[in-house]
Amino acid sequence: MLPPMSPNLLAYPFLFLALFFESFVLVTLLSEPARKARARRPGDEEPSVAVIVPCWNEESTIAATAESLLALDYPVDKLEIILVNDGSTDNTRAAMDRFDAHPQVRVIHKENGGKHTALNAGIAETSAELVGCLDADSFVEPDALREIIPFFARNEVGAVTAAMSIHQPENLIQHMQNAEYTFGIAMRHALASVNALYVTPGPFSFYRRSALEAVGPFRHGHQTEDMEMALRLQRAGYEIENAPRARVYTKSPDTIPKLIKQRTRWTTGFLRNTLGEYRSLVWNRRHGVLGVLVLPVALIAVASSILLFTIAIVRTVISLINAFQIRSGIPLSYALFPHSTFDWFYFPAGSFAFLAAITVVASISLIIIGKRISQTPGGLKLGTISYVLLYGFIAPLWLLRATADATIGRHRGWRS
Amino acid sequence: MSLPLRNALIALAITIVLAGTVAYAVNYLNDARVADLSTIEDQLSIDTLSLDTQFSLLEAAPCDSAASSTALTGELSDLGNRLAYAEGQLGSNDAQVVRLKEQYSLLEIRDYLITKQLAAACGTKPVTVLYFYSNAGDCADCDKAGYALSYLRTTYPSLRVYSFDYNLDLGALKTLISLDKIKKGSLPAFVINGKASNGFTSLPDLEKLFPKDALATSTPPKS
Repeated sequence: MLPPMSPNLLAYPFLFLALFFESFVLVTLLSEPARKARARRPGDEEPSVAVIVPCWNEESTIAATAESLLALDYPVDKLEIILVNDGSTDNTRAAMDRFDAHPQVRVIHKENGGKHTALNAGIAETSAELVGCLDADSFVEPDALREIIPFFARNEVGAVTAAMSIHQPENLIQHMQNAEYTFGIAMRHALASVNALYVTPGPFSFYRRSALEAVGPFRHGHQTEDMEMALRLQRAGYEIENAPRARVYTKSPDTIPKLIKQRTRWTTGFLRNTLGEYRSLVWNRRHGVLGVLVLPVALIAVASSILLFTIAIVRTVISLINAFQIRSGIPLSYALFPHSTFDWFYFPAGSFAFLAAITVVASISLIIIGKRISQTPGGLKLGTISYVLLYGFIAPLWLLRATADATIGRHRGWRS
Repeated sequence: MSLPLRNALIALAITIVLAGTVAYAVNYLNDARVADLSTIEDQLSIDTLSLDTQFSLLEAAPCDSAASSTALTGELSDLGNRLAYAEGQLGSNDAQVVRLKEQYSLLEIRDYLITKQLAAACGTKPVTVLYFYSNAGDCADCDKAGYALSYLRTTYPSLRVYSFDYNLDLGALKTLISLDKIKKGSLPAFVINGKASNGFTSLPDLEKLFPKDALATSTPPKS
């Protein structure tokens, strides 16, 4: 009979893959295309631009979002802002109508039909060369648009993404997301340099109008219309760039349940899109790094996180039950405290611990790099600590929930 | 060669170098642990020789106050803990672990015998516990019994607890097992001051097996 396999042995291939992927990202960051992208500065080009703000029940943030767009450093006659009220049931209509008289702003009220319909309604109202989106809970730096424009210099580029951070993180969960977003800045910047982005996030992504006309309007996209559009652009042969200093700040979930709901939507959308309509991109050499590396690794990461988390939970529960059983009946004054002094002899220095530590160090390096290349202000110590300590325990929860939803075909509401 | 392919190959090389470095570091640390075990082996040899010498000396002066007990209890406990950890790391079948366990068991038996001899000659009443366990997966209560004994040994430092792996292939241990009539199916088994019993239910039940006042005469338990 074969001996039982250690769960650690199961983890090694995934740790090796994680380390390889992080190494690839770091090497790519040092390569010429990424260096050139970082060196790119705003030029004199000033194409006509429209920014669409799809909005559903965002009465508390829509005004600040619109104000931040009006403060953009861009010629007034070249920038129009389209606020689309997608059938809000709160006071969003009144908050939007305050801007109706502004010469740069157009306000559209429509029946609720979903974010993609709001975006399409906005696109239909403009003939601008570049069309941008901004979620109604996000705010941009004045120079963000000027940072975006040079990345459209080549005709192959169909979309350009920005550098996202969390708007005024307050609690630990928000600080953790801020570190994660900053990690994402480095990751997005590196992967864009090899055309491997598969999402053009709601906060301040821009599209070339001709590219949108070529691939068609936004779709529901399993509640991830930004990912569906990015995958569609990639499939059509367009490139997706990233402007690492185009800073945009977005509101974030402030509790774990809200975060899990948001990420379940994102992950379910990812699984349904990549394993559904865009399956042909996965393992497809024609799509380069995106097809051969990024999409397969992202799918494997979902599966491995769930697997390793489940194993860790089962092992922890068994250990706790054993520890409880062994200690039952023993006075608590003895049972609750360790009875050995520190000795290197007992130091648990295994390959698993070392490899996991290197992976964490690489992640922290990417957070620092993300902050530096985007020149995002604010501290990241608390965020990095909470990211290292908490993220690995929380992320598997939404990965599990999303995988279960995708497997059994369950469809949730936008905020449930 | 395309840039992504070049980057992927560099990343692969970096990952292999890192994994190799980790493997080397872990191997180095395990070697250091094995070297530590060699130190334990030397210590066991010296302790065994020391006890042999003590035996010889006692024949001439059976109850010298300075030699009325051995001083190995704490050391035996520490060596036992290290051996248990090494067994967990290197496996029960590792040749060095098995050899060390055999030496350790021999040392325990010698200490047990000399303690009994001193007690008889000097009229002292030490409380000795022989504890037989198995970690071959056939003793459901051994972990609980071992933890309860650790608690008793910590709480009552004068207790002399000797732990033996029932499955160890060692002549002297087999003789001890046969003398105390310990059966494999009855583990965990205890011989407390010569009186054998088996099975573990709870700490109070285990305490009842000790001679009256044997535990009360030692350091009282902390509240």
